[in-house]
Amino acid sequence: MKEINPAKKTALQIALMAVLTAVVVVFTLMFRVPTPIKGYISLCDVIITFSAFLFGPWIAAIAGGLGTGIADVIGGFPQWAPFSFLIHGAQGIIIALIARAGLKKGVPGDAKLFKMILGGVLGMLVMTGGYYLVGGFLHGFKPALVEIPLNLLQSGVGVVLGIIVSRTVLKAYPPVRSLAL
Amino acid sequence: MTTSTYIAGRGFLYWFDARAKLLTVVLLCVLVFLPMRQLGLWVLVGVAFLCAWRATDFKQALQPLRTILFVLIIMVLFTPLTYRDGEFILFIGQFPFITREALVQVNTLIARFLGITYVCSLYVWTTPMADINLAFRWYGLSYQAALVLTLAFRFIPFIADAFRMIQDSHALRNAVRIEGETGKRQRLLDVVPTVTAALVFALKSIPYLAMTLEHRGLGSSVKRTSYRKLHAKGGIFTHVLLSVMIAAVFFLVFITI
Repeated sequence: MKEINPAKKTALQIALMAVLTAVVVVFTLMFRVPTPIKGYISLCDVIITFSAFLFGPWIAAIAGGLGTGIADVIGGFPQWAPFSFLIHGAQGIIIALIARAGLKKGVPGDAKLFKMILGGVLGMLVMTGGYYLVGGFLHGFKPALVEIPLNLLQSGVGVVLGIIVSRTVLKAYPPVRSLAL
Repeated sequence: MTTSTYIAGRGFLYWFDARAKLLTVVLLCVLVFLPMRQLGLWVLVGVAFLCAWRATDFKQALQPLRTILFVLIIMVLFTPLTYRDGEFILFIGQFPFITREALVQVNTLIARFLGITYVCSLYVWTTPMADINLAFRWYGLSYQAALVLTLAFRFIPFIADAFRMIQDSHALRNAVRIEGETGKRQRLLDVVPTVTAALVFALKSIPYLAMTLEHRGLGSSVKRTSYRKLHAKGGIFTHVLLSVMIAAVFFLVFITI
């Protein structure tokens, strides 16, 4: 495989992180599905899963963490921003590490479906568990239980759509492989 | 899409340096988890609310409360039912509803959560996003990380507009769909082409952005200049000292030990 010049790699990494962060912010704030108990489920997990499958752990961690953190600040929940950064960052890392385990060639999007699902499910647990812990710390562990089903639903939808979207993007825009580092 | 959370105004919070203000926010958020008198927590909420009111207006000052109202209601309903230790002080018919300890617990949790929410909201309302970025730089955020943050803010409105257009064009295509094909599964599947198109659009901009960064000299060993700098009137030391003093006074007055 042809080695990329380190300076070029840095420029590409920064561009990838910046654009994907912006995409995560937009998907968190614009694509919202209303839930019955006066809340919203966002599609940020779709992009985090997608980034993890196609671009690996660090891009997914930065784009997911920074994107959701910025969305919290812009959306009026700044107290959650540092926690979202850590939780969604960890979610991106876990999904990518498992999905690309043993993959020597190609982008992580070429990984076996069961690995993608396994990575996605563990990512779901990290995200749901992380928000439960932080929620418990901030406003009590019992009230924080209410958020578990919603977070599971959000991350579950994110994993399913993330797998579908990463496959469709690889088909619709093959040059994306050249962006995977 | 508006990405700025800054609300122009005057007063102490606008004079206070972004770096020292960030330190105050962190210190206060840590302090509310220490064994404090409940009065102290409510004093913090009250002062933060008054600062928000003075910096903006009454309606805007209520905004953080509105965003967390649902969580507060859940806390009020759930905590008494799950925290059953101690002496019951309120009965609903024959049902013992709340103990004294549960009441103290609810009170502490609500005051703490409101305090953190208001302190964080005040910071992003009274500090321009560029200054927040510079404050992070001052605390050691790398040049590249700050660049990612700046570029992300630059790209958000651009990508949001493009996504809205893609959404609209897909909605037009779906408008001709016959009845019976609009179930939940179909609605979920309808998201896929929109998301795919939006992602391809965003991904196409990445090589151009990477190239631009290279041409602008990214990776050069020459020290980068900064268009904007933070100026603390009276010196940064004074501001940091003030920040520590605010936290220390709050701590010493309301600590329970």
